[in-house]
Amino acid sequence: MVLNWKMVNGGLAVLALSLPLMLAESAPVSAGSPQAPQAQKSQPPTPAAPSGEYAGEDTCLVCHDDHAYKGTPHGLAVNARTPAANHGCESCHGPGKAHSESNGDLTLIKRFTTLAPAEVSATCTTCHTRATHALWEGSQHDQRNLSCVTCHSIHSPKGRPQLKASTQLELCGTCHRSVVSRQHRFNHMPVREGGLTCSSCHNVHGSTNVRLLRAGTTVDESCTSCHADKRGPYIWEHAPVSESCVTCHDPHGTNNDRMLVSKQPFLCQRCHVTSRHPPTVYEGYILQNSSNANKMYGRACTTCHQLIHGSNAPSGKALLR
Amino acid sequence: MRLRLVMLTAALLLAVHAASAQTPPSQTQPPAQTPPAKKTLTPPPPQGSSGTFDIGGLVTATDGDAARYERYRDDRDGLYSSFSVNRVDDTYLFRADASHVGYRDQRYGARYMGRRINVSFGFTGQPVNFSYLTRTPFVTSGSTLTLDDSAQRAVQGPTNSTTDGTAVGVPCAPGAPPGACSNATQAAQALANRSIYNGLASPFDLRYTRNVAAFNALYAATKAVDVDASFSLTNRSGQQPWGASFAFNNAIELPQPIDQRTNDLRVGASWSNDRAMFRLGWDGSWFHNQFHSLTWDNPNFLTDFNNGLLPPNGPYDPSGYSNGNGPAQGREALAPNNTMNVVSATGLYKLPRRSTINGTVQFTTQNQDDDLIPWTINPVILNTPAVIAAFPHLAQLPRSTAEAKAKGLNTLLNFNTRPTRRVNVSVRYRYNKRDVQTPIFDATEYVRFDAVPEENPEGFSPQFDNSRQLLDANVAYTPKGWGTVRVGYGYEGITREGRGFADVGEHIFRASYDAYSNRYVTVRTSFDVGRRRGQGFVEAEAGNDEVGPGGTQPTLRYYDEADRDRTRGSVIVTVMPQESIDLFVQFAGAKDKFLADDSAPVSRPGELFGLQEQTNGSWTVGFNFHPGDVIAVGADYSRQTFGSFQRSRNANPPPDPSWTDPTRDWTLDNDDRINNFSGYLDLRRPFRNTDIRFGYDYSDSANSFVHGGPRITALAALGQFIPLPDVTNAWHRANVDVQYFFNTRAGVGVGYYFEKLDVFDYATVDTNGSVGFTPATGDPRIDYLGGLITGYGNRPYTGSTAYIRLLYRF
Repeated sequence: MVLNWKMVNGGLAVLALSLPLMLAESAPVSAGSPQAPQAQKSQPPTPAAPSGEYAGEDTCLVCHDDHAYKGTPHGLAVNARTPAANHGCESCHGPGKAHSESNGDLTLIKRFTTLAPAEVSATCTTCHTRATHALWEGSQHDQRNLSCVTCHSIHSPKGRPQLKASTQLELCGTCHRSVVSRQHRFNHMPVREGGLTCSSCHNVHGSTNVRLLRAGTTVDESCTSCHADKRGPYIWEHAPVSESCVTCHDPHGTNNDRMLVSKQPFLCQRCHVTSRHPPTVYEGYILQNSSNANKMYGRACTTCHQLIHGSNAPSGKALLR
Repeated sequence: MRLRLVMLTAALLLAVHAASAQTPPSQTQPPAQTPPAKKTLTPPPPQGSSGTFDIGGLVTATDGDAARYERYRDDRDGLYSSFSVNRVDDTYLFRADASHVGYRDQRYGARYMGRRINVSFGFTGQPVNFSYLTRTPFVTSGSTLTLDDSAQRAVQGPTNSTTDGTAVGVPCAPGAPPGACSNATQAAQALANRSIYNGLASPFDLRYTRNVAAFNALYAATKAVDVDASFSLTNRSGQQPWGASFAFNNAIELPQPIDQRTNDLRVGASWSNDRAMFRLGWDGSWFHNQFHSLTWDNPNFLTDFNNGLLPPNGPYDPSGYSNGNGPAQGREALAPNNTMNVVSATGLYKLPRRSTINGTVQFTTQNQDDDLIPWTINPVILNTPAVIAAFPHLAQLPRSTAEAKAKGLNTLLNFNTRPTRRVNVSVRYRYNKRDVQTPIFDATEYVRFDAVPEENPEGFSPQFDNSRQLLDANVAYTPKGWGTVRVGYGYEGITREGRGFADVGEHIFRASYDAYSNRYVTVRTSFDVGRRRGQGFVEAEAGNDEVGPGGTQPTLRYYDEADRDRTRGSVIVTVMPQESIDLFVQFAGAKDKFLADDSAPVSRPGELFGLQEQTNGSWTVGFNFHPGDVIAVGADYSRQTFGSFQRSRNANPPPDPSWTDPTRDWTLDNDDRINNFSGYLDLRRPFRNTDIRFGYDYSDSANSFVHGGPRITALAALGQFIPLPDVTNAWHRANVDVQYFFNTRAGVGVGYYFEKLDVFDYATVDTNGSVGFTPATGDPRIDYLGGLITGYGNRPYTGSTAYIRLLYRF
């Protein structure tokens, strides 16, 4: 295990930062805070007592006892923002007194299976407006009329976080099958091995980046959020690299080394077309009979132009040093 | 080590009191495809404590490229343990997981959610195994790789400017008979004379590991205000295959040592109410590389080539970059330390009539100020007054550090409105600007391959600035019960510095139809076309065809900015005749046609060349059937094709007549055809207290490279053209997992998974030669024509892993 002291120290630093937060949770709070008295910690707040049009959660569970949400973050009654701390089931499904008093008239309750997708999402984004959910409205999935419950289940989740499937790969593959199957190529990211998931790179709820990429505002910024060694900036940059990694790489998987979209040297020859050794016809005769074979086997072009992502060497103009 | 960690884990777990839960799949088991969510309700985990112990052992057997089998896993024989602990009640949630404890792919996670705080920790070990078959004669010390001096001396001989050695270093390089390598006879002789380094090369495991530790904390200061912070630390260490060459005929691949660390810190504060949200944040990232440069020995020279002449004829060899007469050592820069800071503001506001406006603005700065390495490590160049007199710019560096900097301004604004329940209008504006502020570096005199000082009048570093503006608008109409029809238009304008086109604009038209409210059928279709055109082509200076846009190659044509017509479409149809069955068909296709400028003058032939067209298509059919609680079965098959067509001219710059000679034109038609199949069968309690899961995945590919054009005809007439064989592979994976429970808590499990990869790739060299032309031996050859490599390549493997485990749920 490669766990050096710097890592441990970094972790301890954040734990130390977190400690005041944990302590703050048990400390007295200022006036106006919604915190319950300390003595009530073992008796967390329950959903607001039924009043007006609300029937109360106990009434709901008389019939819908298989639709519990306890045990999920929604059921964390001590958190003032959760349904459990507010109107319980009716926080999302709306006031249910009329529904219950009419022996379950389905037209008198908000049912997410029949609502228009936009109305489903509008309900969820009443609370989920922050962090990764902030840009849902107008996002690609919103525009195609997917809603929160297309992928998430409040009452019967199979996977984290509250997903309808046990893994993201399975869930996203429902529509993006051709993308998911690229994981079977023998050059792929460690997704099928569980090291990454779709959401490692994508924020499906809407993002500041293109292609719903999670980090940054450009493709490069997303990739270099992990591959920081390629971030530069360098003295000598490779023009397509400074714009978009996917000009040369397909991060979902390919049958070419390094997930390149085509095999070297042919990928390089898509741009380097007219002079000197780049536009040589690299074929079987050269591979078998010439020292120029070294531009075809192994790392091909990048055996010499190894600083293909940029060079910091004074003599690195051709990305050789 | 692993046994100790298993014991430690067990001891820790025994201290935990808890009761029942779900078993997470062991990381030793490849994630088999699982059935889709059933329509029946499965309640979330009960309140209280729960958890799982999973302790066992695994055994792996492989044949062939074992590293490829493991690739991102650690399947070594041994004991393993995984566990999961959950504690849930009304006041807090706590979860802790560990899997594959002690292995290189171990993972840990923990999360606590309380009244006001939400903190989590995760640790992921991610191995990347390249090859266990690799060999190298280089000995690594820090970032310096050396060769055996006596071997270098034997190759070089008593002098360093004449061929008088007695051993071969690199086939076809100086000192290696025959004197030239350009036909079958010479190649056979070159390959028969094995490199002295072949006998000196030691086997080693070529791999690295990336460990990521991440901490996140969120504090709800008030009902409206959150403060969040996260910190992650990434450590990457090991080796990766790396190029480090000396000349056209002396290409070297060696194991590059890696010891890198990245620290990322993110803090922010957000405020929200039922109508609006605002967040202000700062992200900082610091990358540190332990090795800033790489120094390595030349297999052909123990001492630097020196012919005793004066510039321009010496003391270096003016053709050393080509013929291999070069320095005793090379030195190159590695990834520099760098930092990035981002200040961002994100907002959301809900307007009347179901309208929302949201957006973000971000300011980014990237800095890199590493010390620069010298022009060259070759003292024959730097320490010879006559050379410095001829190349005075090499006397010192223009500056001692990189002083590299780039600034970015990025904004995004979305307006979305649903004025009626049937109409949706969304408008998006995006602006991205990257402004490179690195002072231009003057390398009008530089050293090529550490071998030859050269003049390059255009040797100034480029500043690839670019800015993009995207305006995109869509209107959707949803007639009752008939799905949603959407049409849209977008325009993206890009302004660039240093590229072929100064300004590029693309018009994008799109339409989609989605039917999703019928319980039996879901249809999703989309179609879009794009027309991209460039203006202000940056021509080379009159009479100077040596240099193209941005100081690059003459008339170089980047396909990422070339004029393009794009057409794309997709269809997804899912049929659910019963709640227990779904059948699906998916199709997606795209075609990019890059337009050549037929009006380009003969002095700019490059505008005709490059990537002309690329296509891709895929279709998938499949089903899932889960008639009850006992059986779930499903399968899908997909066929995918990728095609590209490119043109080029095998020419030298003017005044060479080949520059304008159309008989030297050639084309390449590259097609990749891929089949995928996946299937699963899950049997839940088919026998008493027993669960059984089967999975099977298959993928094959045939990648063809077909050359054409007058240049190919001419080469074939000379007997100097051999078509490339297809690069093919076929991959299988099968797995079975059986679990038997003695009671509701305790059980045993056994499992097995098997993988087989067959691959033929002409770019992989074995003792027989290039695989694809000759049968693979699985024994890498490290000394091949014009190169000395590690032997890393694409090779077949067969691997199987069996495991047995004890399961305990509480």
